[in-house]
Amino acid sequence: MKPLTEGPPKAGVTLKRNRFWFKAFQQRYLYMMSLPFVVWIFIFSYVPVWGWLTAFQNYKPKDSIFDQKWVGFENFIELFQDERFYIVLRNTLAMSTMGLIVGFTVPVIFALLLNEMKGQFFKRSVQTISYLPHFVSWVVVAGLVYKMLSTDGGAVNQLLMWLNIIDQPIQFMAKGNLFWGIVTASDLWKEMGWNSIIFLAAMAGIDPELYEASTVDGAGRFRKMWHITLPGIRTTFMVLFILSIGHLISIGFEKQFLLGNPLVSDFSEVLDLYALKYGIQMGRYSYGTAIGIFNSVVSILLVFIANGIYKRVTKESII
Amino acid sequence: MKRKMQMALSLMLALVFVFVTACSSSNTEGGKNTTTPETTNATNEQPAEPMTIRFATGNNPNWDDMQSDIGKFIKEKTGITIKPEFPVGGSSDEMLALMIASDEYPDLVIPGGATNKMVDAGALIDLRPLIEEHAPNIKKVYGEYYNRLRWSKDDDAIYTLSLTGVDHTYFDSGSGFQLQHQVLEAAGYPEIKTVKDYEAAIKAYIEKNPKTADGQPNIGLSLNGGEWQILISVTNPAFYATGAPDNGEFFINEDTYEAIMHYQRPEEREYFRWLNHMNDIGLLDPESFIQKYDQYKAKIASGRVLGLIDQNWDYGQAENALKAEGKFGSTYARFPVTLNETYQDHSFQGTGYLPALGIAITKDAQDPVRLIKFLDYLASDEGQVLLNWGIEGKHYNVVDGKRVIPADLLEQKTNDNNTFVKTTGIGNYNISARYGDGVKDPSGNYYTTTFPEQIQAAYSEEDKKTLAAYGATTYKDLWPSDDSFPERKYGAAWTLPFEATSEANVIFQKTQDIMKKRIPEAILAKPEDFDKVYDQFLKDLEDAGVAKMNQEFTKMVKDRVELWSK
Repeated sequence: MKPLTEGPPKAGVTLKRNRFWFKAFQQRYLYMMSLPFVVWIFIFSYVPVWGWLTAFQNYKPKDSIFDQKWVGFENFIELFQDERFYIVLRNTLAMSTMGLIVGFTVPVIFALLLNEMKGQFFKRSVQTISYLPHFVSWVVVAGLVYKMLSTDGGAVNQLLMWLNIIDQPIQFMAKGNLFWGIVTASDLWKEMGWNSIIFLAAMAGIDPELYEASTVDGAGRFRKMWHITLPGIRTTFMVLFILSIGHLISIGFEKQFLLGNPLVSDFSEVLDLYALKYGIQMGRYSYGTAIGIFNSVVSILLVFIANGIYKRVTKESII
Repeated sequence: MKRKMQMALSLMLALVFVFVTACSSSNTEGGKNTTTPETTNATNEQPAEPMTIRFATGNNPNWDDMQSDIGKFIKEKTGITIKPEFPVGGSSDEMLALMIASDEYPDLVIPGGATNKMVDAGALIDLRPLIEEHAPNIKKVYGEYYNRLRWSKDDDAIYTLSLTGVDHTYFDSGSGFQLQHQVLEAAGYPEIKTVKDYEAAIKAYIEKNPKTADGQPNIGLSLNGGEWQILISVTNPAFYATGAPDNGEFFINEDTYEAIMHYQRPEEREYFRWLNHMNDIGLLDPESFIQKYDQYKAKIASGRVLGLIDQNWDYGQAENALKAEGKFGSTYARFPVTLNETYQDHSFQGTGYLPALGIAITKDAQDPVRLIKFLDYLASDEGQVLLNWGIEGKHYNVVDGKRVIPADLLEQKTNDNNTFVKTTGIGNYNISARYGDGVKDPSGNYYTTTFPEQIQAAYSEEDKKTLAAYGATTYKDLWPSDDSFPERKYGAAWTLPFEATSEANVIFQKTQDIMKKRIPEAILAKPEDFDKVYDQFLKDLEDAGVAKMNQEFTKMVKDRVELWSK
């Protein structure tokens, strides 16, 4: 990003340089304030990257990284030849895409509706109640989901039976084709309220005069939502959306690990779980690192592609 | 909004501080506490300087945090406080793998399935010199089997002290197929020898009593197949029921030491076909393969699961809950059930001493000598009696030269074992070399509390009634006797792990994933599809390279035989 304060280009490199140092000196307190964060990011995000070297070795923790056996691309070749890898890649992308779509549309709609509420007390209460599940750990959520969907007195099955929609309890957790849906739905339940907070905040920042003006022009509620509220949160939405696309491939494994079971493993195993199982858990750190590198490269590509598309459409860039 | 934000932030900061100070204070606890605890026993020559040792181990829900009687005694006597680190759910393998990745270890670990990896990573120190110099008791306990602790053919180091009892005699059997006492009683104690008998007993009972007294539906047979115990509850019984001993995931030909994955035996296909049949007729809990361990235990504790195929240590906690509630009719009797009468259960085929799950000192240990002396104390006669029996006058009395557990404690131990363990600490500190059941100390008493009279005394009335009906005094009597089969020269093959990063190990992991998916699928399939799924299962194994792995394993078994017969 170009610094906003930069003036028109000056002649001569030295002059420009001097101006830079002059500016830097002027803003030295700002620089000093940002320094800790730069150091922090450097230490935790850049220093560990040299560990990527292990992906090209047959790494054994006993020896230092310089005494290892180098194996070239062997780990990557093995990774790309394993058919299991493509299954887990499919699962990862499927679940994260589903999560992305549902995880953005529903909170936005929820925030829109909540924003239209009049009673402050009611609005606040609903908001608080809806984001509370965010603080519940996945371990507990998985337990709840299992209990709810159990064939042995689970609430969902009992409801469906009572409504006469089904006459035999359904084994929800044993059906691979339902697994993605279950994960997405439980994720939605847990994170909907939390994710809508930021949209509500963005909506609160929209200039009320816009609404007043449109009322004068005779706009109804839906017109206002469509023409003022939604465009008002567009930037926030896009920033979050593009950043999430970057995380598409690294969705973690808690949900899948806790909700999955051997019967649905063809649908529940995700990349991180695969890296844990066939990498770290077996002491194959190099293999695990290779998967990690693949993850990072794909993530970076995804972010740039998403940003590129956004830029082309709106002539704005967020990176 | 802004003020709220500030409040939230300051709250968070406050929490962080509390956390940080809490952590640091517990770390220095060992150092600050300079008041030397009173030494109750003058024979102890070790300095009882307080020391906190960190100890990574598997889950123990009954851990007493050194607050039990024995815990306090050990702390006073040795000055050592044990701070265990438990894994978050499941097995400790992940926790240990992460330790290896970060190259930071606690003082003591029970590496279990990760032993290989930890040795590979150079995380464990060789205990042999330490034992030679400081630990006469440990050496004495292992006796002639001391050399079985040796790591491998090429490496004579001792990395782990095996925790399995030496010279152990099995007086009771915790395995087999379980049936509730009330089911047996209702059927008039029929012969339970084959899966057909077992099935008939469950079927007869559930037809008459589809619901329990409090109106919940009875479950015919539930398996603990949703987590790693699928091995214990689903696949291991396949070889037990078809006349093979436990060699982990393998079947070993006793003459040629040729190893194959045990699923490849045609006999076992028939066992799984029977489970498939149980599912087909609705006797198998449909949730068997998706339930979590907690759900499984909750079902058992509700008393409505008529039959189990499991090990006592796996379902025992849930059964204890039943006992505590006085529902003895819903507790379980155990039988050596086989697929048909031509097979005999080989659970107790001899192995010689089996160094298995062991304790190890890591390279990060602050004071290995002190640690080995601590472990040596626990392995001494005094230490072993303390760990198994407790404190004299409190947990046992000596009557006519015999150790006797007071009646009220025995009652608690049998019927409310969880509380018993938590308050006394008995069973929580077995972390050193020890003798098995049936070995007597110099005073002529058994080291452990498991011996025939004690086992019978610990049985509930229901157990006794059932056993009497079958003309037995312990469940073990129902099994073929120990000497019915020749001793296995390689011990038991489940103690043989693949080298951590070897190709065979990757194949093994793959076969495990395939098994965990295909076996439940085969059991839950329609009976006419069973063979199709099972064939696919075997084909998947082939594709994963099972032949290569079998070959490798055969070699390992042969090496073991050679090493041990020296």
